[in-house]
Amino acid sequence: MDYSIRAANVEDCKDISRMIMELAEYEKISEHVKITQRDLEQDGFSKNPFFHGIIAEVPEQHKTKDGHTKIGYALYFFSYSSWSGRAVFMEDLYVMPEFRGKGIGKALMSKVAQLGLAAGCHLLDFTVLDWNKSSLDFYHSQGCVDITANMGYHIMRCEGEALQHLAQP
Amino acid sequence: TMEYSIRAASVEDCKDIRRLIGELAEYEKVADEVTITQRDLERDGFSENPFFHCIIAEFYTAFPPHPTKKGYATYFYNYNTWCGRAIYMGDLYVMSEFRGKGIGRALMSKVAQLGRAAGCRQLNFTVMDWNKSARDFYLRQGCVDITANTGKHFMRCEGEALEHLAQP
Repeated sequence: MDYSIRAANVEDCKDISRMIMELAEYEKISEHVKITQRDLEQDGFSKNPFFHGIIAEVPEQHKTKDGHTKIGYALYFFSYSSWSGRAVFMEDLYVMPEFRGKGIGKALMSKVAQLGLAAGCHLLDFTVLDWNKSSLDFYHSQGCVDITANMGYHIMRCEGEALQHLAQP
Repeated sequence: TMEYSIRAASVEDCKDIRRLIGELAEYEKVADEVTITQRDLERDGFSENPFFHCIIAEFYTAFPPHPTKKGYATYFYNYNTWCGRAIYMGDLYVMSEFRGKGIGRALMSKVAQLGRAAGCRQLNFTVMDWNKSARDFYLRQGCVDITANTGKHFMRCEGEALEHLAQP
């Protein structure tokens, strides 16, 4: 199947928002999604963006029954490791179910890797849920390592009232 | 008493930051993994589009009066597609003889303040599961262990695997 991978632009935010919700449903956390199309426009496409996006698009003849041609995306941002320096973090990777198994997920991830290397990054980091076996297998097949399993890295978060309290001097 | 202040790092601090990074890596038992140089820090933290930001805990001895840098935190802005803007704390470290005085909390508090000022709803970071004193400290601050609670694993691709992945 023909598809293209390209940088996201501000007009893609409606589709990115739709696909974020689809990914959240797949990961069983859709009630936690507070972000809107407007947030994405402001946060991804103004002067100092918090993230960057890439889109996988199919030609008109392969559009979904709802008329969508934008059928996958990845969101990433630059991060830093004090061990090895510049890194790229892939926050989301998603392909709509009927377009899976065609190499589109790998093509999106590959593009993030290319963009990272072009920016001088040595690492591509991301997260995966431990019950998501098909994703884990895919990532292992790409030579990714599980830093949580190997080194005991736990992801920690502070938010809401705890974050407000922590911010008090 | 030792007075200290928390301030934004400047490019002149990179020599000390590199030293403190080395000490933290020793503590985390990963000193062999550190390939970063002072030059990398200068370029990556203090040019037009920095990859990270840094704050320093600086002490002033009463006599002779000179500043010494005894702790640091690094952070950068990132994004969570559930709730938007987030701040990520990369490193948090206080030299061993200065622990137990609230300096770690003061550094982390500053990162939280900076994050909130930038509209961030989350402060994210990682901790090694064997580092019980650090975990306990973070849990006391009201942090939650996302890996323990949701099964989220931190994954990495680097070296040859990363180059291979980048092939179209």
